[in-house]
Amino acid sequence: MIRLLLPLAGVCAFFAASWITVRVFRPREPRRFFLIYALLLVIASSATYVWLWPLVRIEDMLGLACCVLLQTLVCLTMWNAFYSLLWGFSGSLMYDIFTNERLRTREHLVRSYEGHDGLDHILARRLPNLVRGGWIDMRGTALSLTSKGRLIAIGTLAAFKMFSLGMGGGIKEK
Amino acid sequence: MMLARVIAAILTLLAGQALMVAAVSALRRRGNIYVTIIMVVVLTTPIIFGLEPWLFGRRLDTDGRVFFALTHLALGGFLFHFMTLPDRSVTLRVLAELERAPHRTLSVAALTAKYSVRDMIESRLDQLADGAFLEIDPDGGLFLNPRGTTFGRFVAGGRRLFGISSAN
Repeated sequence: MIRLLLPLAGVCAFFAASWITVRVFRPREPRRFFLIYALLLVIASSATYVWLWPLVRIEDMLGLACCVLLQTLVCLTMWNAFYSLLWGFSGSLMYDIFTNERLRTREHLVRSYEGHDGLDHILARRLPNLVRGGWIDMRGTALSLTSKGRLIAIGTLAAFKMFSLGMGGGIKEK
Repeated sequence: MMLARVIAAILTLLAGQALMVAAVSALRRRGNIYVTIIMVVVLTTPIIFGLEPWLFGRRLDTDGRVFFALTHLALGGFLFHFMTLPDRSVTLRVLAELERAPHRTLSVAALTAKYSVRDMIESRLDQLADGAFLEIDPDGGLFLNPRGTTFGRFVAGGRRLFGISSAN
C-alpha cells in the first residue's frame, strides 16, 4: 500500500508547479503548462515505481496502472477546479453573489452579464476563442462549424443522447 | 502479455461503467447524472472482483485487489470529469447548436436567442437552489445558504490564491 504514496507526491508536485506558474509567470494559457506538468509527472512516477517495485507479477502492473490513474485523476480534478470553479460560470455566479450585494437579485445578475451590442459577456469571451482555435468560422455575424468543430459537435450530440443529458450546456429541462 | 491484460481490464471496466451509466440515466431521465455515476461506480466495485479469473487468468492477492478496486473507482472519476464537458460546457453547447442548425449556420442573434444568457443564468441559479447553495424568493431575490457562503468563500479564496482578477 506504500506504493500509493507515489501518486500523492506527484499530486503535491503538480499543485506546487501549477500554482507557481499561474501566480508568478501568469501565462495566457495555463492549461498548456498543466498538461506538460501532468505528463512529466506521469513519466517520473512510472519510472520511480518501476525502479522501486519491478514489474514481476500482474499485481505489480496493476499497482502501476492504479498509481498513474489516481495521480492523473487528481491532477485533472485540480485542473478542472481551476477552470470550472474559479473561472467557470457557476463559480462566477456564486462569486458575484457572495462579493457584490447589488447582484443579489436574479434580474440584476442577468443584467450584469448582458452586453451592449447584442452579445452577452459569456459568448463574447468564448466566440473569439472558438474562431482563433479553428473550431468555427465567423463571416460577418454568421457562424458556422469548421470540420474540426463538426467532429466535436457530433461527439457532443452523441454524448447528449447516450447519457440522456437533454440540451447540455448547463441547462436543465424542467 | 501482462501489460495487455491490464490495458484490456481497464478498457473493460471503463466501457462497462459507461454502458451502465447510460442505461441508468435512460431510466432516470430527470436524475442527476453525477449521482448516477457515483452510484454505479461504488455499487459495482464488489462485483468487479468476480471478473478477476476472466481478466487476469487467476485470483489477485489482497494488494492486487485493492489496486484493482482503486483503478475501477479512478476510472469512475474520469467518467465524472468527462461528463462535465457535454453537460456543463457553454462552448460545447454552442458547437452543438451550430451542428443542429439548418445548413449548420446561425447568426449571432439566432444563437443568443436559442441559448440566451438569461436561460443560462436562470437554469444555473435553479440548480444552485436545488443543491441548497442559495434560496430564490418570489421577487427574484437571492440569499446564500451556509453551503453557498462556503462555496463563495472557496471561489473568492481560490481566485486570490491564483491571482485571478476576471473570469467566466
